[in-house]
Amino acid sequence: MDKTVKIRTENLCFSYNGRAILCNSSMDFADGEITAIVGPSGSGKSTFLLTLNRLWEAIPRCTLQGAVEMRFNGRYHDIYGRDYPVTRLRRQVGMVFQVPNPLPMSIYKNVAFPLQLKGGVPKENMRSRVEECLRQVRLWDEVQDRLHASALDLSGGQQQRLCIARALILRPEVLLLDEPTSALDHAAAKAIERLLLELKRSCTILLVSHYLDQVSRIADSVVELHNGRLVSKAEYD
Amino acid sequence: MRVLEQAVVHFSRLCGIILLGAVLTVIGYLFVHGWSSLGLSLIFGATPPLDALLMKRHVFNGLFPAVAGTLSLVALAICWAVPMGMAAGIYLAEYAGPKIKAILNLFFDIMAGLPSIVVGLFGFAVAVFLNRRFSGAIHPCLLISSMALAFLVLPYITRTTQMALEGLPLSARMTALSLGASRLQNIVRVLVPQSLSGIVSGIILAIGRCAEDTAVIMLTGVVASTGVPRSLLSHYEALPFYIYYISAQYTNSEELASGYGAAIILLCICLVLFLLAFAIRKRISYHALYRA
Repeated sequence: MDKTVKIRTENLCFSYNGRAILCNSSMDFADGEITAIVGPSGSGKSTFLLTLNRLWEAIPRCTLQGAVEMRFNGRYHDIYGRDYPVTRLRRQVGMVFQVPNPLPMSIYKNVAFPLQLKGGVPKENMRSRVEECLRQVRLWDEVQDRLHASALDLSGGQQQRLCIARALILRPEVLLLDEPTSALDHAAAKAIERLLLELKRSCTILLVSHYLDQVSRIADSVVELHNGRLVSKAEYD
Repeated sequence: MRVLEQAVVHFSRLCGIILLGAVLTVIGYLFVHGWSSLGLSLIFGATPPLDALLMKRHVFNGLFPAVAGTLSLVALAICWAVPMGMAAGIYLAEYAGPKIKAILNLFFDIMAGLPSIVVGLFGFAVAVFLNRRFSGAIHPCLLISSMALAFLVLPYITRTTQMALEGLPLSARMTALSLGASRLQNIVRVLVPQSLSGIVSGIILAIGRCAEDTAVIMLTGVVASTGVPRSLLSHYEALPFYIYYISAQYTNSEELASGYGAAIILLCICLVLFLLAFAIRKRISYHALYRA
């Protein structure tokens, strides 16, 4: 059975300060799968993720050519098109960074923040969504009695799970993960792997990882980048 | 190499101690000479304090009108300067292109270096222009002084706001954007609250400058004896001018001591305003970042 393509990139070229980081990258990513992006350091893996939610636009002296299309509500949208607002895109495409980046706010406010930005969500619903997401990342039991304490006081693993909870609160259709377990211990990394396997039922996941054992455990397909070019693509059974 | 490092450490420590010593010497000197004059009578003269505070009776031989004038002046100048300065700083840090930023940075640096007497002269010229062009009721007054002072301190607030925002790491800048924040939401809800400590430093500098500057107000509305300012268009008294006036014109040691007393009161007012600025910063940070 043909898989539905969720993300399609065409001739994607990206340069920073005049230096090419991605060259003619054309790839398709299937809906409801975990795709691992692997490759040596500096091969453009993290940059590739930034092109999928247009976050590179916050970095000065960057240029991008090519096209990225994503399938939302049954049809493909050019995410760089003028009629597609960047804030809407980023609410549909969640991102978790390599280093946990909680905002200097309370635990509750960190997770609720995307909903507050979006607006129009009653406080009660917000509270239940926060609890749901914190339970999803198995953090609720650890923080339920100190939701209004600073998120910066959490351990590294807890902070990363908090960031995943925060990325999930808007129920994104695509989740971009840039080495989310690299700063975590074995147990915390395993917990996040289990979570990702659950999440792929509801969203498409792109995971940058250096750990090939992790990739073989959870990924449905693997894309390898080298010097900004697609070298190979493989699918696991 | 180790000896050089030790020398640098000792020299730095010595400089710190000298600086602290200088500040303590100035404060100590003021207290030694002004302590005897401190008391309610220095501020309210022969007028009962409550009557003076409720504006029931005038204070003729006390510093109350100068204290009221200074507080009004600083509050007004900060009211003009903070929104404008912060807005300009945000524009420079977040929106301005490289060329415009370079030009405006140069402009604000030049502005920061303007001698206050020049700004005072400009304020005076504006007052004269308004008087001739629009109404004879407009003359050097509290409003003109506060605007001239705001112009004087604007670059401090602008540049510290800009520096504080530009000093935030890229990761802090990208977090809220990745969560679907618009650029404005990112600035208002994340970047400014995180930069408040730097911004407040600029505001504190500005408060200090507004409270102490004499050259600007001498040309734009301050007088030696006029009572509590009744409106924005009235003359007013101010502590720095009183200190200048009394130290130049004193006829006996009691008057000179009252000048030192006025300087102590000015220092205390600055301290209270600084603490107020810190408290407001803490409150805003808490509301922006922690309140659910």
